[in-house]
Formats: sequence, structure tokens, C-alpha cells
Amino acid sequence: MMLLSSEGTEGGARIKGGYLGNILHIDLTAGNSYVEEYDEDFALKYIGGRGFGAKIVMDNLKEGVKPLDPENIIVIAPGVLSGLYLPSSGKTSFVSISPLTGIYADSNMGGMFGVEIRQAGYDALVIHGRAKEFSYIWIDDDTIEIRDASKYKGMKSTETERELKEDLRDEAVKVATIGVAGENLVKFACVNSEWSRNAGRTGMGAIFGSKNVKAIAVRGTKDLPVYDMDKLVELSDKAYKSLHEHPMMKFWQEEGLMSVIDYANTLGIIPTHNFSDAHFEDADKINGEVMTTRHKIGDSACYSCPMACGNICLVKSGKYAGTVTEGPEYESAAMLGSNVGINDFSAVLRGNYLCDELGIDTITSGSMVATIIEGYERGLLSLEDVDGIALSWGDDSSIMLMLEKIANRDGIGDVLAEGPYGVIEKFPQLEPIISHVKGMDQSAYDGRVGVTMALAYATSDIGAHHARAWTIAKELEVGADWTLEEKIDLVIYHQTVRPLFDMLGVCRLPWIELGFDENTYADFYAAATGVKVTLDDLLEKSRSLYNLTRAINMRMGVTRADDHPPERTFNDPIKTGPHAGEHMDREFFERMLDIYYERRGWDTGGRPSDEQLRECGALELLNNR
Amino acid sequence: MDQERDRGQLSISQTLALTVVPERCSGCRTCEIVCAIHNNKVNNPKKARIRVLSLYPQPVIKMPIVCKQCKDPKCMDSCPTDAIYIENGIVKINNNECMGCHACVVSCPFGAIYVHADMDEPIKCELCGGDPQCVKACPKNAIIYVPEHTLGQANRLIDTLKYAHLNEMEYFEHGVKKKLSYAQIETGGLRKDKTKAEQKEGDAAEQ
Repeated sequence: MMLLSSEGTEGGARIKGGYLGNILHIDLTAGNSYVEEYDEDFALKYIGGRGFGAKIVMDNLKEGVKPLDPENIIVIAPGVLSGLYLPSSGKTSFVSISPLTGIYADSNMGGMFGVEIRQAGYDALVIHGRAKEFSYIWIDDDTIEIRDASKYKGMKSTETERELKEDLRDEAVKVATIGVAGENLVKFACVNSEWSRNAGRTGMGAIFGSKNVKAIAVRGTKDLPVYDMDKLVELSDKAYKSLHEHPMMKFWQEEGLMSVIDYANTLGIIPTHNFSDAHFEDADKINGEVMTTRHKIGDSACYSCPMACGNICLVKSGKYAGTVTEGPEYESAAMLGSNVGINDFSAVLRGNYLCDELGIDTITSGSMVATIIEGYERGLLSLEDVDGIALSWGDDSSIMLMLEKIANRDGIGDVLAEGPYGVIEKFPQLEPIISHVKGMDQSAYDGRVGVTMALAYATSDIGAHHARAWTIAKELEVGADWTLEEKIDLVIYHQTVRPLFDMLGVCRLPWIELGFDENTYADFYAAATGVKVTLDDLLEKSRSLYNLTRAINMRMGVTRADDHPPERTFNDPIKTGPHAGEHMDREFFERMLDIYYERRGWDTGGRPSDEQLRECGALELLNNR
Repeated sequence: MDQERDRGQLSISQTLALTVVPERCSGCRTCEIVCAIHNNKVNNPKKARIRVLSLYPQPVIKMPIVCKQCKDPKCMDSCPTDAIYIENGIVKINNNECMGCHACVVSCPFGAIYVHADMDEPIKCELCGGDPQCVKACPKNAIIYVPEHTLGQANRLIDTLKYAHLNEMEYFEHGVKKKLSYAQIETGGLRKDKTKAEQKEGDAAEQ
């Protein structure tokens, strides 16, 4: 262990495993790198992953630095449990200031990339500056090189990964890369790894692009330290067994998240025609059954995950024949399917393939394209505005063209590539029909049904993203008779427990989908690190993290006025389906927001208390304004 | 009747073989972790005796690669110090005799012997003393431990699955019956799209 024991601590080191104790800083401007050994207090306070990332990003904040400036940093941080023998431990967080929203952002991916970083000996990578030449970063355990990447310029994501592996003569190297969209600084460009694992949201690919970095390739061969291996094996054997025996397990391996299409359509919460509706007539043409019976050719799983929710699909006939893509999962299928009116699963697969290969976020892309289709259909945009392409719902050819235009910043694509804020600046008339919060498009669950999802989107620290608090299922299934306070507490609970998964570097799906006991993670943590904790201890850290990211956002100008769901949530009632006619009342929402702030211990303007800020280490940040 | 059954059981307990069904593998690498933990007592898949090789997108395959305990092993032939020997059907390495030349690693036709910088001797599956941990850990039953005489069955299954993919496929398009072979699909469709720069070059050339 290389962890430095903090001064004055009696009895020596408290951390006896799990952490590697190192953060690798790579300075592209200077062309060098150095290893920082952090102290125990840092690890115990911020846990790891997203927690490390947020703290490092906060400490690096400087006045006047824009997201795509070289001075902005990106932190790539797997969690303290990443790579260990326990279910679904393959998650890695990418943390930075987002070019899409201009505020704090993180996005995570599964796969094996983070595990490889840990095996190379680092708990996190921090990338500073901007390379003079178009480059890729090669991390081979202790050897760090910044290498010429001109050969890979313009390549698609999987092509880059394949070529890099060939050039490095090792198929086991793990690669995270951007597509052409990242190179073109598309503000919702993603980072792709292991063929189709994406850090999709908030534009992390554009940060790579702004740093002149095409890819990071890693080879790590070191042991991951575990304090009590016998205990970890005992806990994990039990955990795997309980997951294997779960009655829904086989179904999960077969359909994965695609089963949500039917579920969301039946509940009436599926995004349809740019969120103008929440029920899609042709949902049964793009659902999990269509995928498994006609398209699925293989399974795919992240590191150590028994659920294998990834589905590799092939289009076997029609004009997209030969398209091979992993996915889509629910979000992609809904945003590139029902939300743009596509009712042909082959076209959904093609859309998913293009987004992955070009390197753009499927959710924001689906939302952006849907917005201009509706804008054009309603006469808010002229034919000239949309490059002479007569857009209509479900016209897959023009939709695919739009995706390519976005990635290549061609014509109207150059406007769409700027995301919601850029589109509104250019076409103010579209503002009422763009569903975004703080500049990020709403994910594929309607915010008008129930009350918690609108609040979850509105108060999310990165913008309207479902994974921050996915409360809608619970509210609709069991929470109908709950008091408003109970519903608000559900949102806060999700916003507290979910960051913990990102901090530990594990996937939330065993918990949310298969009912895996979240208390077990405290035991995993204790077995790995030797630090005895309860789930409540860990949740305190993640509650503190939420205050920290709130502080970063407030420093960057976020106020109560930004904590609002998309305008559509208030103004346009749902047209069809079980929740036809529903929308959110503005005054009701304000009242809900008041209660939310109060229960978080924030003031009416949404500012955490001084004590909360001191506790998370962000008091100076807000007081120095 | 009972006697026959007993004999059957007896033959099962005599020779079991570890084999894989790549069509089932999801590539989660749980096998690698449990292998390293069981045999090396460390959480490091890079020290595992079994590794998953993933290819994508053409062809899409995830193949767990592990020693097949050959009857006439190439690794044994290639060993200059006779450190490799067969005991109860398991091909083993005597670490005292091994000089770490890795001749066995390169001679294995399946690439099923591995190396790691921390270790002098090669890493090779010895079936966890008859109770392979990877088989128990695999969430998809892609690694199986079966009586040797049923090995053909697994391979026949694999081959049948492959055949199903290779065969022509009938489908309807606008009411017209058409045929498409898997081979066609593999070569068509995935054209290399032009980059913006190439597009401009092309445009310039036309002018």
C-alpha cells in the first residue's frame, strides 16, 4: 500500500486494501505525467470514482475557464470496488465540466476500461492541457506515452479500437476512444470503449477532442489489493448465487433493458414524437421481443457481471442489412425509435450503430433530431432551415442523414451539434418544444406522469438524466397513495444511493432490477478496504457529494430558476395513452421544490447550508465569490 | 439395469473434460477472476488460466480459451527440460524443472498457456484438482465440465449452431420472398463512410 497515513492518526493506516493510493496526472501541454499519492482522509471522505472526480474537478475550478479550454480537466475514475470479485464491478466515471451544459458533469461506462486502469496501478487518471498534435495516450502499467494519432483521425469508434489493438499487438489492451463527432467537438459526443460501452451523456467525447486526444489505450497487469480475500469470496459467492437464482435472471440475460419498451408503453411514459406524447402505437414493433426473435446474435456483459444486459444485434434484411451493433438498450431504442416516430427495429439498430460509430449520445441525438422534425412539421422551421430535407416522423433515411450531419457538423447538423442551448440561440421559436434541463435533454421517461420524475429531472446536478433518480416505476407501482413528502423523499433517496454505485465503481442494475440488497456493498467495501462501515456511513458520503456538486453548479451560476423540468412538462398535456391529459401544474411544482430544498437542508434558493458546505469541503468555493 | 447405470456412473467419474460453448459466452470474465483468486490467491484476471478472447464486429465471437488437456500435448513435446508431464489425464508443469523458456506457450496450438511478468513459470490450467472453479462461476453455462465421451455432443451442438448461421435465410420484403446468406451479410453493408476531409477532397477533384 502506498497510501499516506494522515498526520496525527493513531494506530497507523486505517485503509488496508482496495485503494491503490495513486492518481495519475497526464499533462498534455507539457507532454509529461506524474503520479500523485493521496492521503487516507481524501479516500475515506470521497470514497472513489465519481467522488474523487468531483473533488478533483472542484479543486481545479478557475474563473473564466470554458469547458473546451485546455485548462478544463477530465478525470477518469473507476471506483474502489472496480475490478474486484463481486457482481458487476466494471464501472468507470468520467468527470469534468460539460461543454453541453457548462456546469458540473459526469458520465459513466461499463465494460473493462476502468478495471484496466486500476490494474495499471491507478485509482484515477486526470488529464490536463491540450496536446500540440493529434494524439493518443498509451498507458502500459508504469510507462506513460503520448503518441501520434494522425493515422486514426476520422476513424469510427470500433475501427479505431481494432486498429489500435492491432498496432499495439495486444488484443487484450483496453481502449477508450472518440468517434469523428468528438474530433468535431460535437457537444454531446461520447467516449466509446470495448466496442460499444459508452460514457454517453454530457459530452465527454468533446472534452477528449478539445484536448486533441483520440483515444486512451491501457494495459494493466497488477494485482488489485484486497484486505480480506476470504471474506470477499464468501460474500460474493453468496451474491452471485442469489442473482443466479433470481426468477427474472434468465429474462434479463435474454432481453436486458429492451424489456422496458413494453413496460414504458403500457405505463404511458414512453417518449413519443419529441415528447409531445407518451404512448407509441407501434411500440410492439421496436420492443424486446422483436429484438430477441429477429435480431439478437449474441450476449454481451461488462466485467464480472452475471446479468449480461448487452445484446449484440444484426440486421439481416432490408436496406440496413449487415449492420452489427451492440444494443440498443431502452433509452436508445426509445429516443431513436418512438421519439422520432420510427417503427422499424432495423432502422433503430442502424441509428444506434451510427451513434456509436460516429460517437454521439443516443439520447441527446434522438432528442435533437425529434425537435427539428417537430419544428419543421409545425412550420417553426423552413425547408431551407433544415437543409432542404423534408423531415417527417419515422422517415428513417432523413433521420440517419441528420445523425451523420450532427457528427460531421454539416449544415443544420452544425446547429444541432451545439445541443439545446445552441439550437435555442439560433432558433428561439423552438424553445417551447425542446425538452431539456440545464442544457441537457430529457431521457426516455416522461416527466408529466406522476410527480417524482419531473422533480428528479429538475433537481439533477447534470441536467435531465434518468440515471440520477429513476423513481417513476416505484411511484407508479406502489407509491400512488404516498404523501407528497414520501414521494419527495424517494427522489432524495435515489439521488443519495445512486451516486454511491458510481463512487464504488459498480453497476446499479443488480440493485434496481433484481432487488440485490444495497447493504451488501458496505460489506464489500469493508472486506476490500479493511474499513468497517455501514450503508448509512457510505450514504452520508454520497449525500455530501450531492452537496459538493450543487456547490460547483451554484458557483457556475445555477440558481433555483434552473431547477425546473422542461417547459413541455407544464404546457403540453399528454395526448394519448393511460395518462392522456396529464401535465404538471407550475405552482404545484414550486411548492414541491420548496419541500425538496427543505428536506435536503438547503435554503429556499437551493443553497446548501454552511455546515453542509463545510462538511463536503466546498464552503470556500461559494464564499469566495 | 442397475448394473448398467453403475457402470455408466463409473465411466463418468473416470474422465471429465473441460470444454467451452462460445455461443453462450457473454464475455464477463468472471471465470478469469475466480481462476486467479482460487489458484493464485490474488484478484488479478491477468494471472488466470482461462481468458476470454473477444472479436467484434466481424465475426462477433467471445471465446473462453483454456487448456484442453491434450492426450499427446505439443507443450510436452516442446519442453526442453521435460518439466511437463501427464498425471491422471491432467497435463501438469513441474515448476522445479521448468526454466521459464516459454517454449510451451508458443507451441500450444490454442494459445491456452499464459505468461505474466510476476511469474517465471507459465500459467496453465490443471483443472483445480478436478473441481474447476470457472465452471461453477460461469453465469451463462458457457464453460462445461462433462464426461469425455460426450465431448462430441458439445462440438456437434456448436457446429449445428454455426450451420444455422451460415445457412441461407428466407425473408419477405414488400411481399416478395427473398433469400440471403450469412456470408453475404458479412461482406456487405459495412462500407467505410467517407470522412469530412475525404468528402471535400472528392468534391474538389470533381470540380
